[in-house]
Amino acid sequence: MASGDPVVATKDLTKKYGKLVALDRLTMAVERGQILGFIGPNGAGKTTAIKILVGLARPTSGSAQVAGTDCVADPRKIRRLVGYMPDIFGVYDNMRVSEYLDFFGAAFGIRRRERVQRIDQVLETAGASNFKDLYVEALSHGMKQRVAIARTLLHDPAVIFMDEPTNGLDPQARIEMRQLLLDLARRGKTLIVTSHVLPELSHVCDRVAIITRGKLRAFGTQEEVTRQLSPLREMEVLLTGSDRIAQVVEVVRKHLESGASIQSSPAEAVVRFRTARREEELAKLLAALIASGLDVTQFREVQTDLEEAFLTVARSDDNGAAEMGLSKTHGKSKALISEEIKS
Amino acid sequence: MTPIIRRELLEWMRTRKALALQVGLAAVCAILILVRWPTGGVGELSGARSLEVLRIFGYGALAGILLLAPALPATTLVREKMSGTLALLLNSPLSGQSIYFGKLLASLGFTAILLTMTVPAAAACYALGGTTIRGGVGLLYAILCLAALQVSTLGLLVSSRSQSTDGALRVTYGLVLAVCVLPLAPHWLLQGSEPPLSEIVEWIRGLSPIPAVMEVLGQGDVGSRGMSIGGGAMVRYAVMASLMSVLCALATFSRVNHKMLDRARPAGIMTQDRALGTRIMRRMLFLVDPQRRSRGISRFVNPVMVKEFRTRRFGRAHWILRLVALCAILSLALSYLSATGALGWGLEAIGGALVLLQISLLILFVPSLAGGLISTERESGGWRLLLMTPLSAGAILRGKLMSVVWPLILLLCATLPGYIVMMHLKPTLEVQVYRVVATLVLTATFAVLVSAAASSLFRSTAAATTTSYSALLAICLGPLLIWLGRGAPFGHRAVETILTVSPVAAALHASDTPGFTDYALLPANWWLIAAACLALLTLLVVRTWQLSRPD
Repeated sequence: MASGDPVVATKDLTKKYGKLVALDRLTMAVERGQILGFIGPNGAGKTTAIKILVGLARPTSGSAQVAGTDCVADPRKIRRLVGYMPDIFGVYDNMRVSEYLDFFGAAFGIRRRERVQRIDQVLETAGASNFKDLYVEALSHGMKQRVAIARTLLHDPAVIFMDEPTNGLDPQARIEMRQLLLDLARRGKTLIVTSHVLPELSHVCDRVAIITRGKLRAFGTQEEVTRQLSPLREMEVLLTGSDRIAQVVEVVRKHLESGASIQSSPAEAVVRFRTARREEELAKLLAALIASGLDVTQFREVQTDLEEAFLTVARSDDNGAAEMGLSKTHGKSKALISEEIKS
Repeated sequence: MTPIIRRELLEWMRTRKALALQVGLAAVCAILILVRWPTGGVGELSGARSLEVLRIFGYGALAGILLLAPALPATTLVREKMSGTLALLLNSPLSGQSIYFGKLLASLGFTAILLTMTVPAAAACYALGGTTIRGGVGLLYAILCLAALQVSTLGLLVSSRSQSTDGALRVTYGLVLAVCVLPLAPHWLLQGSEPPLSEIVEWIRGLSPIPAVMEVLGQGDVGSRGMSIGGGAMVRYAVMASLMSVLCALATFSRVNHKMLDRARPAGIMTQDRALGTRIMRRMLFLVDPQRRSRGISRFVNPVMVKEFRTRRFGRAHWILRLVALCAILSLALSYLSATGALGWGLEAIGGALVLLQISLLILFVPSLAGGLISTERESGGWRLLLMTPLSAGAILRGKLMSVVWPLILLLCATLPGYIVMMHLKPTLEVQVYRVVATLVLTATFAVLVSAAASSLFRSTAAATTTSYSALLAICLGPLLIWLGRGAPFGHRAVETILTVSPVAAALHASDTPGFTDYALLPANWWLIAAACLALLTLLVVRTWQLSRPD
């Protein structure tokens, strides 16, 4: 594998269960040391994609490679290359954490002396050193998550797949988990992480993939994804006072497309608008505002966050579902849910 | 209470298993009646033929109740606890008693439905004549109902104290077996003793439903000899079973509340961190201390096997060692008693007792050790993790099977000293002992493969364990029901054919146990069991391969 090659690559990856298309021609690539946030509603196909990449499922068509190894042709080699932390823990009753990790270490063929050191290391990394002698089944959900992370890191995999790693963690542990993900990426590990807590992913991910109904809707950096999903930029003009706010609205309207949405808030002394205009045209608008003698304190773009991008996809997906002839009630209920999330 | 009864009953009645049980039971009863229904034009006035059928029906129904009735109550509370719904129930306005009685009545309701399926067969026995509704059939049903109540309350008690469904099933079936068989032993051994000892053993024997059923069916008593006649067994059973049910219910009441969920997390203290005195004491008590910080798994050992040993509460080394010691002591004690003439049973009967001891160990322990080999992994999500390791499916299966085979070898070896003493006392028994050992080894292999195959077929460990127990009991002990009816209603040839299937009968035949010497069961049984083992092994390998393939 050449140094510039992607560590994880899929091409037209498709998985069908009978008539159900769980994954529809997924094509993406992740480079070494990157963290990919895999986002999508429940049942979107995230876990199916991960299962194919770790060798637990076979695709119907297309190809998937991890560190240059074909996931279908050489699943045994894949097992050594990847660390997989599924959404369920996999408890063994009556087993202590140290014994649990010892078993997985032995299963991966790590020598006994090295294994003992390695167990201490991964427990330290996952912040679970205190749990070493506790019984696995007696751990709380958050503690189990930490042990699961330790288990995933045990054989020092090049690529780590984590399904909802922050599930059940307390706020402090979530922050520590973010640090851990960044640390691992710094050490050259490639991480593919799914989570429903989108602000969390936005803090750590280099790349984001949004998937719905098995299809990749957006892929790239967060900025690229938000741009892909929402061509209209939201801009904000802040003034020193609200007395000349109508004049500002007038100037803005002249420079925008006809019918563009402009909102003013005298209480905040701010004017907001959404536009598809490019940088040069916006520069002209700012010049016009200053030339009119208006006291502008700020002229800036409001960043669309990951949550907003995800909701855009979810809404468009709902519309797609309605177009596909899904029942009215189903569409309505989903729209309502979207509205609730929005509010 | 009503919503619980409705939910539990509906949940069960909707399953395919429930339908299969009802249809299966009705079919078995119908076949029994069809086989024995008079076809000639001459009526039989003495009622002997009807009684023959009623006996088979009665023992079959009792075996069915003891096998099926505890399954539902044994898992009901622990399942609620594991799925988290018990907290919801305890948080509802339902009281602990309502929850308990709801579950008990639902279990009894299901058993009542099963018993109803047997009514046409009982009616046919009555129609044949020779028995009355109040005297024969009615009393039999009364005892069956009482037995259902007894094992259901016992199952609920175990369920309230268990942490896993398969563990609850194991303990419940073990206790049911103990309650049915162990109370017979003092009476058997102390026959002819003076009161009050004889009175005490009579009442202890009253805990088991077997003497009561035997009395109803006019078959005297278990192990009775000479002029000894039973009598009063039904009354004693009614009193003792009711008492036991009430005690079990009271003990469960005290558990069905927040205490069931109010459990501190184990502190995880290791023996190495304890005081010196405690360390020495634990070393003496445990020999292999389960709370000692264990060394890592050696690279020459299959890690799956070690994992299996470590994850089993019962299968851990200290328990196996205790059991081995107990078996060795029992086996030697039997041989010693026989040699010193303290028991006038004769070597053949002692051999038979040893065979029964070993078979009981096999039937009791193998499903509990092997019934969850694969299903537990699938249930807990561990199977997916195992597949993510570089271990091949073959290595996983090998490790799992070896984790059952080693304890079994130890257990069976522990009972061998008895045979060695027998061979020393009577050297002509050598061939006989070899035949017994060969039969037992085949039986153990068969039991392991039946349980392991069941565990590969089911996702739920409780279902796999129940299936393993049912299959083994049906194959090993079921034919003995037919043997009970030897001479009448079943002929020699029919009994011999049926007994050929049973490894227990084969082992008893090999040890020349009285009652089994007339049947030529070997080597036909060896061939049959070997073929079954081969088929089961193939099934197990194919299923493991299927399960380890990517989706």
